[in-house]
Amino acid sequence: MKKGIRTENIKAAYGEKVIIEELSISIPMGQITTIIGPNGCGKSTFLKTLGRILGIKKGYIYLDGEEIHRLPTRELAKKLAILPQAPQAPDGLTVEELVSYGRFPYQKGLGRLTGEDKEIVSWAIEATGLKGLEEQATSDLSGGQRQRVWIAMALAQETEVILLDEPTTYLDMAYQLEILELLEDLNKVHGCTILMVLHDLNLASKFADHMIAFREGRVIKAGTPGEVMNKETLKEVFQIDAAIVTDPVSARPICMSYQLLNKEKNRSKVKKGA
Amino acid sequence: MKKKNRKYVLILLLILIPAAFFISINAGFTDYGITDILRILAGKGDGKENIVVLQFRMPRILLALLIGAGFALSGCIIQGITRNPLADPGILGINAGAGIMVLLYVVLHGAVSFGSVFGLPFLSLIGALVTGTIIYALSTQKTKGVSSMRLVLNGVAIQAGINAVMTMVIMKLDDSQHEFLAKWQAGSIWNANWKFVAALLPWIVIGITYLILRSRHLDILTMGDDISFGLGVTVVREKYRLLFTAVALAAACVAVSGSISFVGLMAPHLSRKLVGSGHRLLIPVCALTGGLLVLIADTVARTVIEPSEIPTGIVVSLLGAPYFVFLLLKERKKTVNS
Repeated sequence: MKKGIRTENIKAAYGEKVIIEELSISIPMGQITTIIGPNGCGKSTFLKTLGRILGIKKGYIYLDGEEIHRLPTRELAKKLAILPQAPQAPDGLTVEELVSYGRFPYQKGLGRLTGEDKEIVSWAIEATGLKGLEEQATSDLSGGQRQRVWIAMALAQETEVILLDEPTTYLDMAYQLEILELLEDLNKVHGCTILMVLHDLNLASKFADHMIAFREGRVIKAGTPGEVMNKETLKEVFQIDAAIVTDPVSARPICMSYQLLNKEKNRSKVKKGA
Repeated sequence: MKKKNRKYVLILLLILIPAAFFISINAGFTDYGITDILRILAGKGDGKENIVVLQFRMPRILLALLIGAGFALSGCIIQGITRNPLADPGILGINAGAGIMVLLYVVLHGAVSFGSVFGLPFLSLIGALVTGTIIYALSTQKTKGVSSMRLVLNGVAIQAGINAVMTMVIMKLDDSQHEFLAKWQAGSIWNANWKFVAALLPWIVIGITYLILRSRHLDILTMGDDISFGLGVTVVREKYRLLFTAVALAAACVAVSGSISFVGLMAPHLSRKLVGSGHRLLIPVCALTGGLLVLIADTVARTVIEPSEIPTGIVVSLLGAPYFVFLLLKERKKTVNS
């Protein structure tokens, strides 16, 4: 049996609007993979198809050699967790309650939590640094804490793969790092495979073992941060002229400054508009 | 409310309901004391007492409790699934669709000759499902799925249309039918007898049982489609089943009482404030709160201007409207402060 996630010629669309056409790619297991690309490039759509939130029109998606659309949805939920962008919990739900929902795929009948379920829930709460907040309503937490509760829920699912769509959106800089460092720990300590869409190029480069750059539903480049975060790729993906330097702390490539490639064209547009 | 105090809410409701029961059974034209009531309930009353208490007041109280529970649960599911705290069975056009079927039946068979009490809920279920499906289809966009906003707008529009047709039909009827239907349209527990209790009881019992068994699914669906898919819920199938349950509960209640709309809005809202959004506790609390609200409203409705009475639905609205103004003001204060 072949481990890992692999897609074969997948096509994804919202109604008539095709977002992804003929995409074949492999996601390495046991690593952190980050997806970058401009708005509307299909990176979130790609994540949704992997999490079978969005059906595919054509092609196949394999997880450990099994086609995901042939698996019962609960079985898949034991192997793969997905956190959508900016999820919302109902008012008054406590941290412990929300995290315990992660046990849903394992529960039968009335769904009372077993001793094992409770242990895993408290482990997930501890691993995400939420101990002591179990009885707090999630709506009373800070943005960073709330995002950690969602991650704890995904952890309680005990999956080998966790997909996250922009887990750092709407967070302050310190909280962004906090979340990404937590995910890095989960990868290093527990061996979780993490695949996430990140908006911030430098954070994507800093935390990734593997990077994928998307544009218009196609993969422009996939590889190590060094292979993806360079002038040529960023030019093709974002239409920018980027100045790439090496981060003195992480030794990863970062984009220090950039300008639009077609600056002159934009200027003339503004003039015409005025 | 603190989590550990939540279970006391259930206990409190289980005390309040018998209390309301005794007040209500004692309220009316003939005043009995509590000892007399207990004597009559024990089967030792005389002929007149038995008729007033056991044949008139008892079934009416039980119906009020059942109807309240039914509308409240229906609202609770719809609010949870559409993630819209202001949704209720009235908004999805369910009550109106159920109502027009009952109306047609009355027009064709005459107001008083309700032979097939047991068939009426099925008839109103058909009406509710048809309107529900039309509204659902109108609100579905090819690319984006069902939009909550369109659901509400279409629901309100269709409901207004059906109500207009109903009013037109009622105007054409003779006086006795007219009066009866006008009251029924405003929501009143009419013609309460044991037959109606027996007709409604199975719907409510099956509904509550099913929902408690499904409480975990409901919890997760409340967090939206994406999270639900991720946790392994078969979202579309589960939504259809639960919405069908909501429609069936509301339709059965409409068949018996007309549309009492504020309960489906108010009871789930109040219950969430009291016990949070976990459905295992929310479902029973919501059913009891709804029952208690309608029982209180109905007791007021039939005693306040004795010997005549106001439709229960109007009393519920009189209680419900200030509650919602209060809620809106509180919300506004919260946003101003933060």
